[in-house]
Amino acid sequence: MPQVRIIARNFMDMVAALPAMKLDHLYQNAFICEAILRSLPPLAKKYVIQMCYIEETIPSKSLEEWVLPDGLSKHRVAIDRLLQLRIFSESFDRSTGTSYRLNPTFQENLQKLITYGAVLPREPMPSSVTARLPSLQELENYAMQKWECFLLQLINSAQAEKMTNISPSMMRIFQRGLLTQRDKEAPRLTESGFQFLLMDTNAQLWYIIREYISNSEEIGVDPADLISFMLELSFHETGQAYNMNTLDEIQRSTIKDLADLGLVKLQQGRKESWFIPTKLATNLSVSLTDSSSRKEGYVMVETNFRLYAYSTSKLHSEILRLFSRVEYQLPNLLVGAITKESLYNAFENGITSEQIISFLQQNAHPRIAERTPSVPENVMDQIRLWETDLNRIEMTPAHFYDEFPSRDVFEAACDFARESGGLLWEDSKKMRLVVNTEVHLQMREHLRRQK
Amino acid sequence: MGHGEKGRPSKSMKPSSKDDYRNAIPEDEEATYGEEIEDDYHDGEGKKKDFSKLELKPDHANRPLWACADGRIFLETFSPLYKQAYDFLIAIAEPVCRPESMHEYNLTPHSLYAAVSVGLETETIITVLSKLSKTKLPKEMIDFIHASTANYGKVKLVLKKNRYFIESPFPEVLKKLLRDEVISRARITSEAAGAEGFTVGKAMGEVVSGHNELLNEAQLAAAAEEKETHSFEIDPVQVENVKQRCLPNALNYPMMEEYDFRNDTVNPDLEVELKPHAQPRPYQEKSLSKMFGNGRARSGIIVLPCGAGKSLVGVSAACRIRKSCLCLATNAVSVDQWAFQFKLWSTIRDEQICRFTSDSKERFRGNAGVVVTTYNMVAFGGKRSEESEKIIEEIRNREWGLLLMDEVHVVPAHMFRKVISLTKSHCKLGLTATLVREDERITDLNFLIGPKLYEANWLDLVKGGFIANVQCAEVWCPMTKEFFAEYLKKENSKKKQALYVMNPNKFRACEFLIRFHEQQRGDKIIVFADNLFALTEYAMKLRKPMIYGATSHIERTKILEAFKTSRDVNTIFLSKVGDNSIDIPEANVIIQISSHAGSRRQEAQRLGRILRAKGKPQDRMAGGKEEYNAFFYSLVSTDTQEMYYSTKRQQFLIDQGYSFKVITSLPPPDSGGDLSFHHLDEQLALLGKVLSAGDDMVGLEQLEEDADDIALHKARRSLGSMSAMSGANGMVYMEYSTGKKPMGQGKPKPKDPSKRHYLFKKRYG
Repeated sequence: MPQVRIIARNFMDMVAALPAMKLDHLYQNAFICEAILRSLPPLAKKYVIQMCYIEETIPSKSLEEWVLPDGLSKHRVAIDRLLQLRIFSESFDRSTGTSYRLNPTFQENLQKLITYGAVLPREPMPSSVTARLPSLQELENYAMQKWECFLLQLINSAQAEKMTNISPSMMRIFQRGLLTQRDKEAPRLTESGFQFLLMDTNAQLWYIIREYISNSEEIGVDPADLISFMLELSFHETGQAYNMNTLDEIQRSTIKDLADLGLVKLQQGRKESWFIPTKLATNLSVSLTDSSSRKEGYVMVETNFRLYAYSTSKLHSEILRLFSRVEYQLPNLLVGAITKESLYNAFENGITSEQIISFLQQNAHPRIAERTPSVPENVMDQIRLWETDLNRIEMTPAHFYDEFPSRDVFEAACDFARESGGLLWEDSKKMRLVVNTEVHLQMREHLRRQK
Repeated sequence: MGHGEKGRPSKSMKPSSKDDYRNAIPEDEEATYGEEIEDDYHDGEGKKKDFSKLELKPDHANRPLWACADGRIFLETFSPLYKQAYDFLIAIAEPVCRPESMHEYNLTPHSLYAAVSVGLETETIITVLSKLSKTKLPKEMIDFIHASTANYGKVKLVLKKNRYFIESPFPEVLKKLLRDEVISRARITSEAAGAEGFTVGKAMGEVVSGHNELLNEAQLAAAAEEKETHSFEIDPVQVENVKQRCLPNALNYPMMEEYDFRNDTVNPDLEVELKPHAQPRPYQEKSLSKMFGNGRARSGIIVLPCGAGKSLVGVSAACRIRKSCLCLATNAVSVDQWAFQFKLWSTIRDEQICRFTSDSKERFRGNAGVVVTTYNMVAFGGKRSEESEKIIEEIRNREWGLLLMDEVHVVPAHMFRKVISLTKSHCKLGLTATLVREDERITDLNFLIGPKLYEANWLDLVKGGFIANVQCAEVWCPMTKEFFAEYLKKENSKKKQALYVMNPNKFRACEFLIRFHEQQRGDKIIVFADNLFALTEYAMKLRKPMIYGATSHIERTKILEAFKTSRDVNTIFLSKVGDNSIDIPEANVIIQISSHAGSRRQEAQRLGRILRAKGKPQDRMAGGKEEYNAFFYSLVSTDTQEMYYSTKRQQFLIDQGYSFKVITSLPPPDSGGDLSFHHLDEQLALLGKVLSAGDDMVGLEQLEEDADDIALHKARRSLGSMSAMSGANGMVYMEYSTGKKPMGQGKPKPKDPSKRHYLFKKRYG
């Protein structure tokens, strides 16, 4: 899913867009260094690791020797990224040319990390205080339920039963770009809204968090602080309780919002209160391409275009409805069919065949996931063919001319249009022609001159 | 849509046969196809059924199915209980689709009638179903089963020593029947009657094998116990009337017919048995066991895919009953084939079997024998030759042990009614490849012949190598510019079909495929075209023999013989006459260049022509040398009505597990220079030919008798939704598996790209 990666990079773009001072400040936190390292493109990761214990500049020429000639474009991307994030600093020398060195703060933290591991600013609370904590399974169910509830409310589904505590204004910020509302009509999902729904949970989470952070700026919270807190949070241990009084004011209000998204669970003891990070929170720093974080799939597609989804989730049913016709709802099974109509509907909404196919593949039920392809070939082919079928017509803005005074004028006009590369169609019998819009003005000029 | 476009001539080709009644049944079943044109496959677009409130059982993961209140059942094929569940469901429900992982079934009154008639009882059905279900059974479904089975299978009509008895284990039902005037008048009172006036006998309770493990011991004991049956005798003359009174529209106790042939001492035996080499396959054995389940012969229908050996089942049944047998086929060619099958599989002597057609009027010698004839010959109402009259008189007067009816889905009900009322038979067996549809005619069939006794699982047959594994493909042929321009013109509305069938790109694709399969694989090819103009044009241009309605029997036989034996005749062109019952076991490739609108049945029937397994069994089995050994190409001109029809036609097969590959460029872009119509002037000449042909020349093939049937359909159309009548509500038709993955624990067959037919290799590369 290309869109996923774009949005994910945007999050790091936010980091990269921070002023130099703030970035250097961020790198004082070892967790952030680790999270940033995880998010880097593979080649950039390699460079950082390789240069971890080199405390002087390295000429760009020697760096280039580390890659094969055909990897040069990837090399440039990696270097750009590193410079953007200020992990690399660039210097220029006449004799050696451009050279790079690692950001000293970053480097130091990385070295510490390798030697001692990271130490969290807070310790888990002892079980004597917290009594019974939810099991990991309970916690995961809780997180998924919260997240789903949030998403349903986000897309304004009629299926949303429970409302989250997220303020309407905050919700509107999240909906920005995902929903459009023409006056008096019910809000509709936009193209990116549909694509958003087809993404996997991690990618959706990144998107929402990004929106959350950019919004914080408007209410006077430093985005750098938020980013650093979120990344730190991702290194907490799932299922452990952490005391709320270790948080400052801003962090405390943030953690309440995060609880609404299902990233943490809040609990209140007799004296103290604490938060328990869920898998959603700890996945924040996991690389998107890491498949180990992926949930077990639930969708089976058959050669007859029927679709069976082992799910009770209303959200799943909403998602499947984007491109298929749901026919039966059973206690733990959804039965639907992929039809030409349902797909055309999806294409109209801006969903592409590739997105649908990759959604079906990524969420394939374990029973069929091991077979290749997990989605029947004929179904994939047909989905693609139906899409290309829609793309056969190309629209070109154009202008239509007729009623030429004489054949000579007509032919001259045709020649003129042909020469300027704008002739789309001509009918010499009836003396009519169509030129594309770019040529229209010149054409008008040409005809005026003829007169 | 479809109907306006058909604009057919009354008749363009006259049957050459002298016997004018030979074509009394439209062999092409035009009429029945017509119905399917307008139906919508999925009734109630967008309708969602919410059964999410059903209560899941705690151990639902171990149970294989979900049952919905509307009768739909979903079955997981990967459940450990799958095999048992499958055997059970196929007996009580109609399969809707059976692809790899999830099957769907529908519980219908007919399917339950069939279940009851093979010996399953209401309580057994409910108990087993609720055991298998992941949820508590919906109350609606339980009520439905009760309501549907309350009266079915309670009463049997038994012919014992040539006396007709009405038999039932429930005396109260018999009393109820006797309250009817017609039935009470038909009754013959005997001295041996018991206290209630009924003869009490004992019959072995039947244990339906396969479901035993799902029932507890007490239930099993009850089932195995001997049951008392009560019966009374009725007057043979009144049998038809009594049966009539018992139909659902009257007393609603439809009678099952059973024939106690072992104790029939009145009718002479026919001394035949199966030859030792005739070894029925497991599924053939199973279908026979359903028919002869309790030592008597039941009437009913057996559904086996084309090419799976229906004739052996028919011949075996005749050999088991060992009485005179009347075998009805749809046309003269299949009469010959049936006679041949009898001689092939059984020890029948030449003088014991005879064919009765317009061309051959034989009679068997001795007092018992087999007569093979067509439905038309028996049902014909007009004047016959003296010789025919004598034979038909004999057929009418004889008491037949078995009435064997081939291709029952083709023949209209009124024809059956006539045939059945004309001939006296103890047991009727209907054979078909495609389950009859659920229109009213079929409802009649169910009661005229009997319930569906058995329906084979194609998946197993493909896996076992009993039928061919077919690769289906839809070839998209873009219309050439010139043809498309004409196609869009209003004045050519009657020529639309001719234009898209004669599309030069389609012709070239067809020529390419014929060359490819003839030269590179040495295959035998059938090309189907409904459009006679196209059929003739294609066949002439490519110099291949063709058969259509007007081709005489002798000529047909000659062409088919040449196709079977000659190395030089590898391709034949067939019109609709080839859709059914012509047995061409050699063919393994079908190219369809024109077809009848949206007929799903035609598509399946045509596919059936190449299902007979070919090659060595070990190559055909899963994991064998070739992934596919038969090919079905459907050529469609893009952007024309054909595309729409094609989707409709296929939807059905697709629902049965088929997958259609779409091939978008044939011939491949870098070749095709040597094919016909390569140059524009050739294409234009062809276009001129199509345009100058009279409208009546370019329509579909029409045979004389169609007119009446179509009129009938129009009248009927007002009676209900088209989809319901044509059985489009998910009625099963045939099924198929690509055989890629064996059921159960078997290892999936690796998909080796190198084994693939090269046309299917590069798709999006």
